[in-house]
Amino acid sequence: MRRAGLIAGTACVGVVVVMALVALFWTPYDPGQVEASQALAQPSAAHLFGTDGFGRDIFSQLLVGARICLQVGIVSVAIGALVGVPLGIWAGMAPGRIGRAIMRVSDVLYAFPALLLAILLAAARGSASTGTAMVAIGVSTVPAFARVAHGATRSVMARDYVAAARASGIGWGGIARTHVLVNIAPVVLVQTSTSFGLAILAEAGLSYLGIGTAPTTPSWGRMLYDAQKYLYQAPLQLLWPGMFIAVAVLGFNLLGDGLRDALDPRLRTGRHDD
Amino acid sequence: MDFRIGRRPLIGAALAGSLASLVGCSSKDGGSGSQAQVHDLVVGATAAPDALDPSTNTAAAISQALLYNVYETLLKVDGKGAYQPLLAKSWTESPDGLSYTFTLEPNARFASGAALDASAVKTSLDRIGQDPTTLATLKSQLAAIDRVETPDPGTLVLRLKHPDNFLLYFLAQTAGIVYEPSALSTLNQKPAGSGPFVFSAWSQGESLSLVRNASYWGTPTKFDKATFKYYADPNAENAALSSGDLDIISNVQAPQALGQFKDTSRFTILDGTTMSEVVMGFNHSRPVFGDIRVRRAINYAINRPELLQTVADGHGRLIGSMVPPTDPWYEDLSNTYSFDPDKARSLLAEAGHSSGLTLALRVPTLPYATAAATFVTSALKDVGITVTVDQLDFPARWIDEVMTKGNYDMTIIGHAEGRDIVKWADPQYYWHYDNPAFQKLIQQAQTGPADEVNGIMKKAAEMLATDAAADFLYLLANLVVIRADLSGVAENLTSDSFDLTTISSKDF
Repeated sequence: MRRAGLIAGTACVGVVVVMALVALFWTPYDPGQVEASQALAQPSAAHLFGTDGFGRDIFSQLLVGARICLQVGIVSVAIGALVGVPLGIWAGMAPGRIGRAIMRVSDVLYAFPALLLAILLAAARGSASTGTAMVAIGVSTVPAFARVAHGATRSVMARDYVAAARASGIGWGGIARTHVLVNIAPVVLVQTSTSFGLAILAEAGLSYLGIGTAPTTPSWGRMLYDAQKYLYQAPLQLLWPGMFIAVAVLGFNLLGDGLRDALDPRLRTGRHDD
Repeated sequence: MDFRIGRRPLIGAALAGSLASLVGCSSKDGGSGSQAQVHDLVVGATAAPDALDPSTNTAAAISQALLYNVYETLLKVDGKGAYQPLLAKSWTESPDGLSYTFTLEPNARFASGAALDASAVKTSLDRIGQDPTTLATLKSQLAAIDRVETPDPGTLVLRLKHPDNFLLYFLAQTAGIVYEPSALSTLNQKPAGSGPFVFSAWSQGESLSLVRNASYWGTPTKFDKATFKYYADPNAENAALSSGDLDIISNVQAPQALGQFKDTSRFTILDGTTMSEVVMGFNHSRPVFGDIRVRRAINYAINRPELLQTVADGHGRLIGSMVPPTDPWYEDLSNTYSFDPDKARSLLAEAGHSSGLTLALRVPTLPYATAAATFVTSALKDVGITVTVDQLDFPARWIDEVMTKGNYDMTIIGHAEGRDIVKWADPQYYWHYDNPAFQKLIQQAQTGPADEVNGIMKKAAEMLATDAAADFLYLLANLVVIRADLSGVAENLTSDSFDLTTISSKDF
């Protein structure tokens, strides 16, 4: 029962990953191919999920969209983790003024929603694109990683083995690598999975607002944006990308929760069975 | 303590408010009848203005809300393109075309009560010509004016440097607005004109409210209040009309959504023409577009009837050049390049691009532009042109990158201004189209005999089409949805204004 979430999460993520992999080699149609005569076709054998207002095959777009969704997740979470985790560890190991300063700056950054950052970035860079969105989402996940790493580092630093390591003359860098990083890895992994889901949602939101992925690139958020004008004519069009966004986000969140339970029993929520 | 004192009047106000609304209700039901019903007109629009002075800001939304409603001009263009008197009762043109004499409406007053005489008109026209902050477009529209004379308060004489057959038209638009001379420094916060409505409040990004000008010099409006409400999301705007929060949608953004207003007992749908040509512009300063074969290939590669169908659900017109059907020299040029992808491929091969060509299409974040970009990208891919699309936030980023810096290969935008075909004669304009033969035609049309204008302008429009100066995708439809009891909304848009002055309701 405890593993159900993990299994469901893995399954959802698996679906998205398989779609993305398939899209690398094959899509039934060119996802950008406009066929005006086929516009708004119902789901059929030829078009599994039907076509959009331009006659583009929705299934092909969904496949490529999965790739973009994973790409956004990976890049933005990588930015967040690679910047946030070292900062958090640094702040946790230097608990004086430096540590506080780092965390306050990170708190300020935390106050900026990803959307606002993306708009600022798009304005600064001159154009809105998937790249801008990934950087913006990445930057906005930095504080979350810093916080998690900071808290976990603090608790690791209070352990006897760290005191022993210091007593035996191991430097700060050595302790960070051999003791801190290894011990906070599970929490960071859980955060990675959760942030992944949030990043996908943020990209979809940005594209839906027209400040994320550019037209002709079939991101799921972009598909939602294109489909909204057919809300009354062809509501199914909104369902498909929306459904896959939900599956992906749910999948990564369940996976995160499941991983937390599996990797770190102490962090288990609402359970007193150990 | 302070807190409590501060709160009491608020509660009082709230009570008074609810009492007033109760009274309002009973009078509506025919109770007392002493309290007149407030007639409020709420108009939905997109693209909220970011300032309020139409002479110093390009945002079309300013003139949309204020021209003819709050501000007036000497004359006005009617739906058929003919000139009608407004602040000028009558006018005459000298035989040599070098001067115009306007006789002003003697009763005309600004809403503040100040007199609207010839010197006020002179101040406004001189300001466009001389003030460095006014828009270059407006300056060029009135560039022919040499000096403005005011022989007496009721007479205005324009002396021209050269005859200008387009001058009257531009005097009837934003360039010809007569501003209250004493309010010039605060026009961005508080518009001051002589129209049937007076500016009342502006909430940036949300709404702009006007109230009836109680001392209007002409026929007063039947509405006590008019509000423009701005929506970024077309679905929200449509829902607001369905639920009764709006009385009018001034420009339906997604024609696909018109179906929800089919109920004729509640709504009337107007499907006319705008002056907004959706142009896929080429950057002529890029060598690739110096080759007419490439420009023609692109024109042949795009199936515009299908584009109109998918992008605008078939609403709008194919025009093939830069002239809307409401201009007197309109001619249907939409068949200059009929869809022929094979011809496009062979033209590209001739031009040396048989191995492929990559072009950057930078579109503003406007629904029709991004939708058209989707269609164009697919169509050009079919003939071997790879298009990389990115979108620029509109207006700020698009204007900066494309219009100012010229940092683009192709772009798609609607040109809403009237008679904007003359912009093709300006090599500095963002297309960088430099065609001396075309410039000469525009010059002739402007300064030559008035009876030859239409013929020359027709030739100019044909030249743009055959030269494939751009891909003239289509003309935006003027899709307006109004509450069924309202009438008087113009079907075809022939000015920068959303004219409220002609609107009436059959219910009052």
